[in-house]
Amino acid sequence: MTERPGCVLVADDDMVNRLLLARGLERDGHRVRAVANGLEALEALRDGLFDCVLLDVLMPGMDGYQVLECIRSQPKFRHIPVIMISALDDIESVVRCIEMGADDYLPKPFDAVILRARINAGLARKRLHDLEQEYLENVGHVVEAAADVETGRFESRQLDGVAGRDDALGQLARVFQRMAAEVRSREDRLKQEVRQLRIEIDDARAARQVAEITQTEYFQDLQAKASKLRLGPDSQE
Amino acid sequence: MSRIISVHSFRGGTGKSNTAANVAVLLAAEGQRVGVVDTDIQSPGIHTLFGLNQEAVRFSLNQYLWGTCDILQAAHDMTASLDAGLRGRVYLVPSSIKANDIARVMRDGYDVGLLNEGFRQLVKELSLDVLMLDTHPGLNEETLLSIAMSNTLAIVLRPDHQDYEGTSVTLSVARKLNVPDLVLVVNKAPPVFDPEQVRERVETAYACEVAAVLPHSDELMALSSAGIFALRSPDHPVTGLLHQIAARLTA
Repeated sequence: MTERPGCVLVADDDMVNRLLLARGLERDGHRVRAVANGLEALEALRDGLFDCVLLDVLMPGMDGYQVLECIRSQPKFRHIPVIMISALDDIESVVRCIEMGADDYLPKPFDAVILRARINAGLARKRLHDLEQEYLENVGHVVEAAADVETGRFESRQLDGVAGRDDALGQLARVFQRMAAEVRSREDRLKQEVRQLRIEIDDARAARQVAEITQTEYFQDLQAKASKLRLGPDSQE
Repeated sequence: MSRIISVHSFRGGTGKSNTAANVAVLLAAEGQRVGVVDTDIQSPGIHTLFGLNQEAVRFSLNQYLWGTCDILQAAHDMTASLDAGLRGRVYLVPSSIKANDIARVMRDGYDVGLLNEGFRQLVKELSLDVLMLDTHPGLNEETLLSIAMSNTLAIVLRPDHQDYEGTSVTLSVARKLNVPDLVLVVNKAPPVFDPEQVRERVETAYACEVAAVLPHSDELMALSSAGIFALRSPDHPVTGLLHQIAARLTA
């Protein structure tokens, strides 16, 4: 049994091949969906999440080339590794498939060791892609969180998923959560302060300061002529 | 009728000069003829907001007070350099930034009464609608004279315990001088403060109208002392509040 099983789609019009492939893969712990032609293969892809596709080149109706073209043209599927099934003497078609975006090929008749090696390599590529995708999505969550902090809509739990990572991005998310919580708490304290905004004036001290100014000769002189100093009806001019 | 408006704060750093300069320019944009006098002789600064190069300035308020020039010679027409599209005019009487001049003021003083004569001459000769006085923080003799001469006194304060008591003292003194129109401007309010709540509390505490509550603005800070914010950012919310102050001070 393989260490990291996946979900594999097998498309082959030859029933014996199909069964052999499915049995071999299931023995290794993979989940398998086996279909007999290209159309069924595309329907299965639309219905489920697959980690790898084993695709026979020659099938009635929609052949392997057309299915491969369709897989590579759709963003939803284009990252799924595709291994073409081909007879050893059909190298030309193998080359064509690789040029069209197939990841590998599996020669007929099958060898269990080669099958396992090809499948594991395909699944490893898929896992790497999924990890990259997940990483980018998590970076996106952090960027989104930064925008939410700006608009005051940030909730700490929205980064819980990223903060659970054990890499540098996870650390960034945890630091971000902590800093955002500190800023929020500071803002809350300020809001609390304004709710309690009290303008406290020491009246006695203020009165002393006023007296110091208003009891001077200069001030009293100014006070006496203030209305005449101002522009208006009582003005000096 | 012409009017004198003093913009004052008991402590420094409240944004008094910025408020005065912006209001002056907004009034000029409406077509008014506005004079601005930097009476903060000990620490002048409003000239930088108007972009006046003091190296090229021969006469300032200092020379007038020492009798070496006429007040009109110290009045610099800033209109064209600010914005050629201003419908009114802006004249600036700067205080000297030369260390010797400032030291001389501190050492020898001057005849404070000359300020009164100079202000009146400016209003008359330049046909000013408004003369704005950017005062020195605190309440020294020239500031008291500026307040006494004012038809309107705008006191700028921050929602900060350091400013509360000084504002109270200034208001009491202004009331004893019977200044006809007193108004408060709350500046640099943290954005988390509810402006209406701040206005209500301040008006209740001082029994005085608040013309506007201006939030602390990073953009204003970045442009502070380097230009007239209202001209550079005409659509900014802070500019809207400065319009509100200008309208209230000339109402």
